[in-house]
Amino acid sequence: MKPILIISFLVLTYSHQAAAYLDPGTGSMILQGVIAGIAVAGFTIKNYWYRIRAWFGKEAPTSLLDDDDDTQESE
Amino acid sequence: MEPLSSSFRDPSGFVFAFSECVYRQVNKRFAETYDAFMESGLYEKLVSRGLLVSHEETVDGSVTGTTDCYKILKPQQIPFISYPYEWSFSQLKDAAMLTLRVQHEAIKHGFILKDASAYNVQFIDSKPVFIDTLSFEKYVPGSPWVAYKQFCQHFLAPLALMAFTDVELSKLMISHIDGVPLPLASKLLPVKTRLNYSLATHIHLHAKMQQQHSDAAVKKTAKGFKSVSLSEQGLRAMMEALASAVQKLKWKMPETEWGDYYANTNYSGRAGDEKRALVDSFLKDIPDSLAIIQDFGANTGEFSRIAAKHCELVVSQDIDPVAVELNYRNVNENGPTNILPLIQDLSSPSPAIGWGNAERSSFIERSHGDALLVLALIHHLAISNNVPLSNIAKLFSGMTRWLVIEFVPKADSQVVRLLTTREDIFENYTRQGFEDAFLQYYTIEKTAPIPESERLLYLMKTR
Repeated sequence: MKPILIISFLVLTYSHQAAAYLDPGTGSMILQGVIAGIAVAGFTIKNYWYRIRAWFGKEAPTSLLDDDDDTQESE
Repeated sequence: MEPLSSSFRDPSGFVFAFSECVYRQVNKRFAETYDAFMESGLYEKLVSRGLLVSHEETVDGSVTGTTDCYKILKPQQIPFISYPYEWSFSQLKDAAMLTLRVQHEAIKHGFILKDASAYNVQFIDSKPVFIDTLSFEKYVPGSPWVAYKQFCQHFLAPLALMAFTDVELSKLMISHIDGVPLPLASKLLPVKTRLNYSLATHIHLHAKMQQQHSDAAVKKTAKGFKSVSLSEQGLRAMMEALASAVQKLKWKMPETEWGDYYANTNYSGRAGDEKRALVDSFLKDIPDSLAIIQDFGANTGEFSRIAAKHCELVVSQDIDPVAVELNYRNVNENGPTNILPLIQDLSSPSPAIGWGNAERSSFIERSHGDALLVLALIHHLAISNNVPLSNIAKLFSGMTRWLVIEFVPKADSQVVRLLTTREDIFENYTRQGFEDAFLQYYTIEKTAPIPESERLLYLMKTR
């Protein structure tokens, strides 16, 4: 899917959310949709870039949030 | 049994103290979620990685006497509670990364954090650990992260302010119990941070969006509350983006090298060695077994390392955020890990904050232990802060049974320096005056002169 489509998809669809005791803030929720959309787009572009780099034998960097041993697990 | 005053916001359960231990009640309304969390494998995973405190389910649920009780948990106990406004830059940053790692793991198991409070993190063995077992909700596909705003207020905003404006601004967490308001952070951050993509979006734009949409929720309620939907991929990307935002924040400390820092503030050479040996022997002479030693004025923690050999935990405190930062980094790189570095200004320790002034307790209320180590500090308290020696003795004697304290006389170059710019109104600040003040509350067990100085070291025990 093209990044721009993903952004629109993320921002424009609506759904009910799980029960929560915090006030999530309307502005924060909308912004989250936008930032996540851009992040997914960036991620998609990066993935293509890493695939190109892989042809030259370069490894893609790992996630900041994954420990080494669960990178494989999550694939 | 009374619920702790820090735990009333979340209706899923509460924390209470009972026979000197802290417990957590899971309320009936949260039973299904709690069971699903325990069965999902997420609990084991987080605990085995040291990201979450372990707990055991206790058999007797009647102790709280509430009809709403589903289960009572006895979590791994936290030896010394600390708060985000007492952490150095790297401590708060590590706590932020921990929260995101916990969240990342939770999403993989079909759960999500329903809050992202910095108060859900405590330090055990100098590592941040997530302590709120009831923070995990089932992830509903499509839902965004309700705690995004809270994460920015509790972690990203204070970290950015510390890195770009002034490291002392972590203290804003004292005046704002739910983290630094984003419009305030946005106003205080330098203009150049608007060119930093992460801060431009998560803080500056976020602040603007909050202000713009502050009454939008009311308008929406009329039509039925709906919110933005986010795919799981989007949610994961969001967490990576936050992790990268946090990771990129670096605090450029004032240019002081490790060695320089200590040389400027302490003894060098033989005198230093002998002082270390003396402190070591005084601590060894304490006949009781020591769980916690509090080191006040610990600087970068040189003497905390000696104290760490004599007890289970040293709470190593200093007023200087640079010293505490260096202490924390050193503990993590070289050990020993039974040291908890904290920023604390003894002349005005952390107050009690929150609802009824009781949600987050004051430093004095939290403070406990078996011995105090107070080296090269008394002149700062008595002369720089004008605190009478008997007031100091009274405060210390209420904290722990044992005290190892260094008396720094007026002839000492450090005291001479303090008195160059002011009138000497401290006629009782003498060895005799010091001993008289402390003898009101303590017996002096041992005294020794510190070589190559006019200072004295004392071992005292409360009366």
